[in-house]
Amino acid sequence: MSNYKITVGIEVHVELKTRNKVFSEVLNDTTAPVNTLVNEIDLGYPGTLPSLNENVINYGILTSLALNCTVTKHMHFDRKNYFYPDLPKGYQITQLNTPIGTNGYITLNSGKKIGIRELHIEEDTAKSLHQDNKTFLNFNRAGVPLLEIVSSPDINSKEEAGEYLEKLKELLLYLEVSDCKMEEGSMRADVNVSISKTNDLGCRIELKNIGSIHEIKDAIEQEALRQEQILSNNGTLKEQTRKYDASKKETILLRNKEVGNDYRYFKEPDLPYVDITDEQIETIRKKLVLLPDERRKIYLSKGIIPINVEKIIKNKEYSDYLNNFIDTDLDFKVASNLLLGDISSYLNKELISFSSLSLDKERFKSLVDSLSSKKISSKILKEILSSYLTTTDSIDTILKSKGINLNDNLSDLEAIIKQVIIDNNEAVLDYHNGKEKAFQYLIGMTMKQTKSSFSPQAVKDTLKKLLDN
Amino acid sequence: MSNYLDLSLEEIHTLLKNKTIKPIDLVNECFSKIEKNKDYNCYITLNKEQAEAKAKELENVPVSDDLLFGIPIAIKDNIITKDLKTTAASHMLYNFVPIYDAYVVKLLKQHNMIIIGKLNMDEFAMGSSNQTSYYGPVKNPLNKDLVSGGSSGGSACAVALGMPFLSLGTDTGGSIRQPSSFCGVVGMKPTYGLVSRYGLIAFASSLDQIGPITRTVKENALLLNAISEKDSNDLTQEGKKEEIKITDDIDLSKLKIAIPKFYLNDKIDKEILNKFNEIKSLLTSKGCQIDVVDIKYLENSVSLYQIIALGEASSNLARYDGIRYGYSTTKFTDINDFYKATRSEGFGPEVKRRLMIGSYLLSGANAKVYYEKALKIRHAMIEEFHNVFHAYDYIIGPTTTTLPYPLGANNDDPNKSFIDDILTIPVNMAGLPALNLPIGYSKDNLAIGMQIIANRFEENKIYNLANYLEQALNLGGKHE
Repeated sequence: MSNYKITVGIEVHVELKTRNKVFSEVLNDTTAPVNTLVNEIDLGYPGTLPSLNENVINYGILTSLALNCTVTKHMHFDRKNYFYPDLPKGYQITQLNTPIGTNGYITLNSGKKIGIRELHIEEDTAKSLHQDNKTFLNFNRAGVPLLEIVSSPDINSKEEAGEYLEKLKELLLYLEVSDCKMEEGSMRADVNVSISKTNDLGCRIELKNIGSIHEIKDAIEQEALRQEQILSNNGTLKEQTRKYDASKKETILLRNKEVGNDYRYFKEPDLPYVDITDEQIETIRKKLVLLPDERRKIYLSKGIIPINVEKIIKNKEYSDYLNNFIDTDLDFKVASNLLLGDISSYLNKELISFSSLSLDKERFKSLVDSLSSKKISSKILKEILSSYLTTTDSIDTILKSKGINLNDNLSDLEAIIKQVIIDNNEAVLDYHNGKEKAFQYLIGMTMKQTKSSFSPQAVKDTLKKLLDN
Repeated sequence: MSNYLDLSLEEIHTLLKNKTIKPIDLVNECFSKIEKNKDYNCYITLNKEQAEAKAKELENVPVSDDLLFGIPIAIKDNIITKDLKTTAASHMLYNFVPIYDAYVVKLLKQHNMIIIGKLNMDEFAMGSSNQTSYYGPVKNPLNKDLVSGGSSGGSACAVALGMPFLSLGTDTGGSIRQPSSFCGVVGMKPTYGLVSRYGLIAFASSLDQIGPITRTVKENALLLNAISEKDSNDLTQEGKKEEIKITDDIDLSKLKIAIPKFYLNDKIDKEILNKFNEIKSLLTSKGCQIDVVDIKYLENSVSLYQIIALGEASSNLARYDGIRYGYSTTKFTDINDFYKATRSEGFGPEVKRRLMIGSYLLSGANAKVYYEKALKIRHAMIEEFHNVFHAYDYIIGPTTTTLPYPLGANNDDPNKSFIDDILTIPVNMAGLPALNLPIGYSKDNLAIGMQIIANRFEENKIYNLANYLEQALNLGGKHE
């Protein structure tokens, strides 16, 4: 786009998946039947006081550390006062002056660092449902813990915005602090977009309630275009809040920003200061081993092809499982193919999850070893996999029970191959003329004759030996 | 009619224990007293059926050694009682029946006490003469033309009239001590953090405390022991460190007592000062060392209080929006109009005045100029008190600047109720415990009280000195 520079800052809210709400002991589950997970605290009844869920603090520390933030050791909560039907107390308990984490960053693949200005804890509001000119309120969500993660205005393209959000989401998923489902509202992003020809930032427009990272990228593009059109026609921009209509591919005005929106913040007098100790931080830091980017490096170094590395990272169950074998001689390339290929197909077919397989590590390794050493072919794998995954039988036992004979009598093999060479004159000639395909063809013909009862490696070696003699 | 409620707690307990009387006898006597004294307007809601049922139920429970077993008690109407209407004396909560019990109420129920009803008060505890109540003022038990004091006017007056002789009040700037002084009863504002605030309808969260109002010092200590258990629902609460024990042989010659110069200032009624000076002479004659000291910032405490209490109140009362409970307007155009109309119609004038001031004080730059500055001075004031308690065991002074005044007087002066509290507010600002002890009567037979203040969590000390003076003055429980 032209000579305007886009600047984007993003505020992300994620619902933490702690067992309980942040200021009451009620269970935290926004999928429960409407208004069943509610007590007097969640409803803001007169006389109630907030208690504080320690796990929320721990999740906040963990996330702060993963985002390279400084943890605030002496912190308090603040009240943000405003009236809205979904806000039962008439104020939200949040952190204005002492956010739990400050000054962090996320590194993009280009190496560029996107600053994290701050990360703070707050409570979610009730959920409004508008229907037939009426508003219904679901208080299951009231008091669900939120982390708000505020980036610096360091993002300069829709691609960077998308990558920032993907990286953030991936990190939060790996930390297991949130399930980050944008479509269900457990991850929400407000995006501030401005354009400018100079180093000074332009007029800031906030885009709210966008349903996916993909749409956020489109919205940034469309909003920047809109701003550019106004500016190049000598128009002026006013601070606004807008939403994005994905079907029309345009941003739509929600409201103009009022000057001096006054939330009358003050320190929450019902909650004492929270003091976080160095020991607490160090204990939590120990849980930070192997974040996604570190895993990527390990997988690449172990020979997994880049496209499979990304697929494994996307599937945390697989990634966690593979990490059991980092200090072994497991063939990661074969292992990743096995997980992403035949095992995934099996799971899809059976409609079960990987964890429900509870696949024994020894058994997994011996299967990978057999594939890696070419003791069994991928064709045989398909025949035995289901039995292997559902019984405790060894590979050999299963082969035997299925009547598959992994023949190791090489003289039998040689006899068969000799006949194949006689029967396929032309291919043998092509092979000697340097056609690699002909070799593959001869392997295929041999396998057909042997009904795959010899290991692929044995077929390959013997064929080569006899051809080259 | 029987007069069991005029007996001491020990005497009643013995009668209950040897089955001479049953809890229902106390309950019936209490309700007939309430009926007889209806025009004092002590109660907003009576809990007659439930109280009678509880009394009957207790007939099947063996009487324990707990002196509070089967004893009637009444509760200020800003303390939440499950299934029993709780209005905070506001039209805003005229129909509010809570779904849970305040922690102190739970504790009273555990002691098998019988809740008689909910006591009148200033609306949301905002006032010091009980005249801001939506349900009308409480009258002074010694003179029906005069105010009871407030905001715990109903709590103090009911105890003075023995209907029943134990109650709970709340104190944000003097709301237990001042009406206790006006009604001639013993009222304790405990250390901030001693009694759980869970279920106390908040006025100013950093100042509010629940406390007992009783006929005698010993009964007061007993009731405070019962309600100061640790509560995990209130993170600002620590609970009691140990049981309060009163000894009848206190060594006065070792006591060092400070009287702030401010507590002897010329705004204070001469009769009150004279009575207080008699106490001072008595203590000196018994060997106490008494010094007049200077405590900085005391003269600023009303301004600080207005900023902090009203700022917090403006936020605490934001939840009364008519959406989930309480009063809702029926005429409105949109959601903002609904809020405006509900709150305009639901709150009384004093509450609205305070909410507007509080909102203004927290708005924009004002938060820094007023609220945060007030917190700093508050901190300095706490240090001042701390220093005094380095050298002294107690601080004493009069509780009020005036004797009870006529109903309707000063109603047009919004500052009056704050000025009433200049001697009680500093204690809340510093989070200290303080007790009002009746010390005699004016020439017109109006009650006069003094405050005994100690360091944080030193309620025990206060009760021991108060008990000594009560015995010496021989006034305990004698106000008819």
